[in-house]
Amino acid sequence: MKKIFLIVLLITSSSYIIMFAQQLKIHNSKIKIQNAWARPAVKNANSALYFFIENKSRETDTLLGAQSKIAEEVEVHESFIRDNDRMGMRPAGRIAIKPNSQLEFKPGGFHVMLLGLLKDLRIGDNIEAVLLFKYAGKIKIKAMVSDIPTVKETKH
Amino acid sequence: MKRLSLLLIIILFLSCKEKFPVIEEFGNTHYNLVDQNDQKVVFPDFIKGKIVVINYIFTNCPDICPLSTNNMRLIQERIKKENIKNVQFVSISFDPKFDSPGVLRKFAGIRDLDLSNWVFLTGEKSVTDSIIKKVGVLAVPNDSTVFKNGRKIYYYVHTDRIQLIDTDVKIRKNYRGSKINIDEIIMDIKSLQ
Repeated sequence: MKKIFLIVLLITSSSYIIMFAQQLKIHNSKIKIQNAWARPAVKNANSALYFFIENKSRETDTLLGAQSKIAEEVEVHESFIRDNDRMGMRPAGRIAIKPNSQLEFKPGGFHVMLLGLLKDLRIGDNIEAVLLFKYAGKIKIKAMVSDIPTVKETKH
Repeated sequence: MKRLSLLLIIILFLSCKEKFPVIEEFGNTHYNLVDQNDQKVVFPDFIKGKIVVINYIFTNCPDICPLSTNNMRLIQERIKKENIKNVQFVSISFDPKFDSPGVLRKFAGIRDLDLSNWVFLTGEKSVTDSIIKKVGVLAVPNDSTVFKNGRKIYYYVHTDRIQLIDTDVKIRKNYRGSKINIDEIIMDIKSLQ
């Protein structure tokens, strides 16, 4: 009886693992990050990272956070406007990317804050970061340091 | 003919005044500040006689202030391209406890900004607070980040503003710093010349 139970448990958990892995694979290939760029800033100061996310899958995925070795802290924030011309920032929390949709991280909106830079980010430099998604997992991105977006604006 | 010319000049003067009503003037108020090279500067005395494009920033701001600063750079480039003379650019920090002259120098340096007619200013907190109050800019510490070593930095909710000041040191127009229409301010600068 014990053996049967163990076999059933093994088969069930294996199928779950396979399903999860397949889902991960599907999402990983369906989440595209493009046109990443970061603002110039000096060591110990802060920069912001911007990019374009495209979810080509039929499932909602969620951006859980970001990592980078070039900053002491990395946080996902959004800028907000108050009373017409006052700007502020707040943590963005988890960000859902709906199926077959696009989301742009751009100046004045969502951005990844690179806090306490460990080196100068000069215009033309390239940096690396990792975006953490609920299903797609870790996606490595490369971003060019620039004072303006690296490509033309994308239509929504 | 002379009368007609005089009338036209008066009409032109009045229409310009209407287009750019005086928002605020500094009068006899003077503020002691330092620039990015740690040189003493009396504001607004040093800008008298020039048309000034000014913004208000803090360098820990990763999103909006760099956007406003980049717009200042774009205005400066257009000024050069169109050979418009007598324009001065000024950026004043409202976070002087962090934004020392050295920090401001690095902020400008990493962006390769042309400082030939652009100055970054800081000073005593009470002085910069008085200036932003005078010009109608609000900056309130809001969120913060504490690093592992205990260092704490603040983020401000602040007015996103670029201003145009005339040669008599009167504030004539306000613009959204991060979303300013470059063509509009270039036209306004020409009108004030």
